Amino acid sequence: MAAPPGLPPPEKLLEKADEYLAELEKGPWPSHVSELKKTGYPVRVYGVGLVARKSPWGPSAVKAKRLTGVLARIARDWVPGGGEEVHFRVFHTPGRFLPTDYLRKIIQISREYGVGLIEAVGQTGAMVINVKSKDLGDKMIDTLREIGTDVGGSGDAIRELNACVGPALCEFALYDTLNWLVAFRKDKRVHDATAVPGYPYKFKIKLSGCPMDCARANRGDIGFIGVWKGAPEVDQELLRKKIENGEVDPEKLVANCPSGAISWDPAKKELKIDGARCKKSMHCIRAAFPAIKPGKEKRVAVVVGGGSKGRYGPKLGWFIGFLKPDEVDKAIDVTFKVIKPWDEEAQAKYRLGDYILMEGLYRFIEKAGISLEDTPKYVEKLPDNVPYRVLPEEERKKFAEFAEKVKQLVRV
Amino acid sequence: MSIELKYPTEVERFLPEIIKRNYGKWKERKFHGSGIIEHISETGERVFTIKVALPPNARVSADTLEKFADIADKYGVGALRITVAGNVEFITDSLEKAQKIKEEVEKMGFPVGGWRGAMWGINTCTAFLTCQIGVVDAPSIGKALGDALKPYFTGEIPLPAKLRIFISGCPSGCAGGTATDIAIVGMWGAPPKIREEVLPLCMPPPKALAKIPESQIFLVQVCPTGALTLRRQDGQIKLVLVGEKCINCGRCKDNCDAFDYDPKDVGVAILVGGRMSNSGGGPRLARNLIPWLPANPPRYEEIVAVVKQVVEVWRQNAKPGERLADFIDRIGWAKFLDLVGVPRPIAEYMWMPDIARTYLTYRARGEYIFKGFRDAI
Ligand code: SF4
Repeated sequence: MAAPPGLPPPEKLLEKADEYLAELEKGPWPSHVSELKKTGYPVRVYGVGLVARKSPWGPSAVKAKRLTGVLARIARDWVPGGGEEVHFRVFHTPGRFLPTDYLRKIIQISREYGVGLIEAVGQTGAMVINVKSKDLGDKMIDTLREIGTDVGGSGDAIRELNACVGPALCEFALYDTLNWLVAFRKDKRVHDATAVPGYPYKFKIKLSGCPMDCARANRGDIGFIGVWKGAPEVDQELLRKKIENGEVDPEKLVANCPSGAISWDPAKKELKIDGARCKKSMHCIRAAFPAIKPGKEKRVAVVVGGGSKGRYGPKLGWFIGFLKPDEVDKAIDVTFKVIKPWDEEAQAKYRLGDYILMEGLYRFIEKAGISLEDTPKYVEKLPDNVPYRVLPEEERKKFAEFAEKVKQLVRV
Repeated sequence: MSIELKYPTEVERFLPEIIKRNYGKWKERKFHGSGIIEHISETGERVFTIKVALPPNARVSADTLEKFADIADKYGVGALRITVAGNVEFITDSLEKAQKIKEEVEKMGFPVGGWRGAMWGINTCTAFLTCQIGVVDAPSIGKALGDALKPYFTGEIPLPAKLRIFISGCPSGCAGGTATDIAIVGMWGAPPKIREEVLPLCMPPPKALAKIPESQIFLVQVCPTGALTLRRQDGQIKLVLVGEKCINCGRCKDNCDAFDYDPKDVGVAILVGGRMSNSGGGPRLARNLIPWLPANPPRYEEIVAVVKQVVEVWRQNAKPGERLADFIDRIGWAKFLDLVGVPRPIAEYMWMPDIARTYLTYRARGEYIFKGFRDAI
């Protein structure tokens, strides 16, 4: 980008940059500037950007063994003194647990080959480590591999996978998100698509253990969200105890249920939940766990097409069917079924959701060959009705066949 | 081509012993003030988690991380956990140790808080720290906001429900999209300017350009509104930008460095009432509350004031447990705008179905796309 108009001369610019940086070290919230100053990061470049109100970085390249996960920037020519920023996206551990022995190794690598700066979690979900100089990149990758992790996930590839903490630290998890994550990572197809970018745009896979969706699965290109079918399970005995202890207020449970599925019988002291109406909002479960628990029939809802980038702007996912909590292999298959038509047909820089908008959800489901439990078959929400349309021949044929079938049934 | 990647795949290797013993056996949780949560397992074991805010963009120095590791070894179970919202969680097995950890990190200048009726953290993208297309600097906005909103994080001022704030430096929304309670998104303010000298890097050579149909030109494809088109002028073919059609989505800049903007137009949009969780009215994208505010570093007084106003309106009027989205639904959008005191909302941001906001208002050329779209919602 060109130098912004009216930029002060270099000395003045740097002086002002220092002023801004100092300002950002004040106040009670932890300061990124204070952290940056403890490292070899070219913090003044950042300061100049703030003063200029323009990103100080421009594109650059780095030669490394990895095709993805490696990013380099160089300061624009109007930044006095210049500077370089090379960083690697490093895969996080399952659940992002960092045992201190492992963490210390990361710290050591960051000090030896990097500038001593770590982005604990990047927005893709990976850990981002800044590298000291371009030539040290390969060495850093080797050392990272020695401790059991690697660099990857940028460009038009499968990005770093994201799973919520799941059964490791949450009582609501309805399937084993961490082991699903590992199964995905171990799959050769996922592996290849992460290493070598070749899709129309990025592809994100996210796994959330329950409808509270801590891993933001609804925003992934494909997301898996733990749910159950029917009503939550109520342990009336335990619930009565909780009510007596004042821990739970049954009236509140009824009032707070967004779908109005709960009713309370004060005479019998019994709580009823209508499974057909239950929207799986987790309200009652969170309020009265473990007296109210998710239902026994556990499922994993598959949603596709979410994301915040893409041609048609931000989107949430569409539901395309249920899997069972042990069907992780099927989940990986579904992922690649979903990818196939998009990869083959979508224009460059179309996210999966953009492609689905173009195709229409139902045609997409057909093309991808998806048939899961409860895969939607009809358009539920019609914007407005257009009564007439010219149909292609094969569709006319389908309707004719349908009429034949009905004729047999009703015998006209 | 096949490149071998090495993933950290052994779940067992990375879980602390106490977590491994109780994997999938948790049955209850209790809160101990703000930022300390206790999980109780069927086995009777207890685990305490302490949530600590990291600096904007989760940027920490090796030195700080090392001190964290020391604390985790001394008082914790020898492990940390990083959350997707950019907080760090310490894990330990008793309340005393948890309090100790809280003390230690607070001494280092890292507040403890989050969970339940509180601000859960501020997520920011990298912006000027790394990104070449960032329009405003998200981390410094995050810092300025954090300073002003810290009492909502630490629980000094309780909130009705969970509050998440994402700050993205540009419409790409890398900090986590707009499905969040309050999203602050960098905006160019005016259509980008094309730097002719850089443009050839992103375009086919002139001879080829004459032969390729317009719809096949990458930059034309990428623009969702048709603002970028080819124009023939004196026997030459040029890429032009029709300013009236541009919605500042930044897709062109994302894909080619030739698009530039003037810092004097730059600002942020403020979106409210989105969320991911299925609680209340279910997941949804946020709505545009204020399409443009100036972004003045380093303290961003305007943005801080407006965000604080939104939080206060919600805090003082919402029912317990009501997230911003549900609160807005209950009182109605018009009432909410009144309470916040928004001068004159722009109509086109208001009536669009969430998913179609960008799409329908500024839909691209061609019937075909529209038809496909109708099937999909
Ligand atoms: S891609 Fe977006 S920002 Fe660029 S010209 Fe088109 S509408 Fe404007």
